[in-house]
Amino acid sequence: MSDHVTQWLGAYLDGELRGALLRQVSNHLENCDHCQVELDEMRGLSALLHEAAPVGDFLPTERFVANLNLNLPRQTEATQTRKVVEIGWWLIPAGVIATWVFVQVTFQLSALLMTVSNIGLFGDSLAWLSLSGTRQTAWFGLLLNTFGNSAGTLALINSIDLFIQDLTRHFFWQAALGLVYLAWLVRWWLGQQNQTTTAGNFSRS
Amino acid sequence: MAIAQAETEAALIAKAQTGDRSAYGELVRQHHQGVIDVVYRMCGDTHLAEDAAQDAFIQTWLHLPSFRPGTSLRNWLYRIAVNAALDTLRRAPKTPFVDLETLAMPDPQAGPEAALLQKERSLAVQKALSSLPEASRAVLVLREYGSLSYQEISSALDIPLGTVMSRLNYARERLKEILTPDFIDMEMEYV
Repeated sequence: MSDHVTQWLGAYLDGELRGALLRQVSNHLENCDHCQVELDEMRGLSALLHEAAPVGDFLPTERFVANLNLNLPRQTEATQTRKVVEIGWWLIPAGVIATWVFVQVTFQLSALLMTVSNIGLFGDSLAWLSLSGTRQTAWFGLLLNTFGNSAGTLALINSIDLFIQDLTRHFFWQAALGLVYLAWLVRWWLGQQNQTTTAGNFSRS
Repeated sequence: MAIAQAETEAALIAKAQTGDRSAYGELVRQHHQGVIDVVYRMCGDTHLAEDAAQDAFIQTWLHLPSFRPGTSLRNWLYRIAVNAALDTLRRAPKTPFVDLETLAMPDPQAGPEAALLQKERSLAVQKALSSLPEASRAVLVLREYGSLSYQEISSALDIPLGTVMSRLNYARERLKEILTPDFIDMEMEYV
């Protein structure tokens, strides 16, 4: 009989095969003496391994627990430190989100107030807001004196200004937010991995 | 029954995570024999196995606060135990690997011939296990003595499922080569 299923016999013996592969191996074993012998040898090996279990000379469980209890270091301080670090780590994305919300609200509120001021809805009560506008005017005037008062130059300066504003308002903050959140996510994932690896590799260092 | 036991273990873990030594002691009682089985088969020496088991339980205690509820404590513990056993072996002086005197205490109920055969078997098995590469030995020990599924071994040792199967196949083939025909043929008669 060709196409033996030797490589699957271990998994078959351990009950790890499912579905079509399980049926294939079962059917094959019914007709293949070679694989059946292999399977019997594996069963024999497993029985031998279990039969050769050590006997005696280990500390009884209660005594082991008592000895262990004497050697257990304090866990509380490590726990508290870990909790503080975990809380601190959660504060990072929360802080970034709060900053982003603050900046966005400030931008939108400023735009609203400037619009209201331009309309003249509140008269001179918002005159202090025009201070930045004056600076802008002076800066804009300097630009015009430098590069000329042509329609093309004005359009170009206007486009650059709008582009920078859009970049700042809509892209930069969101990109920064995304990057910081991504960094936090990576750190969190590493922390989860750490649970399964750190303890397991505790004395590798 | 199993659900009740799982809930009990979860409750004990929760208490132990807050520093409750008594709850942790109960967890140790529940897993002591399993850990001993694993580390002994990795070390092949009762004294080294005791040391490794203690190291494993201490490290588990220290890292318990970061243990995620809902995952298997046994798998996590066995992973720590395997690494503790390997570290203990590396620290241990290069003495004969197998503890000849304490390896297999013959069954006093058996006759002298059967007792001798039992001791020979145990000695041969432990020597064969010790001849395996560490990676393959760890997989075989977790499967045969820890009774972990392939998926659990994969998770515990952080290796792919295919690697678990290939290492297990390799370990079994090697053991068959070493132990056949002296013992396996005899076992097959009784299986």
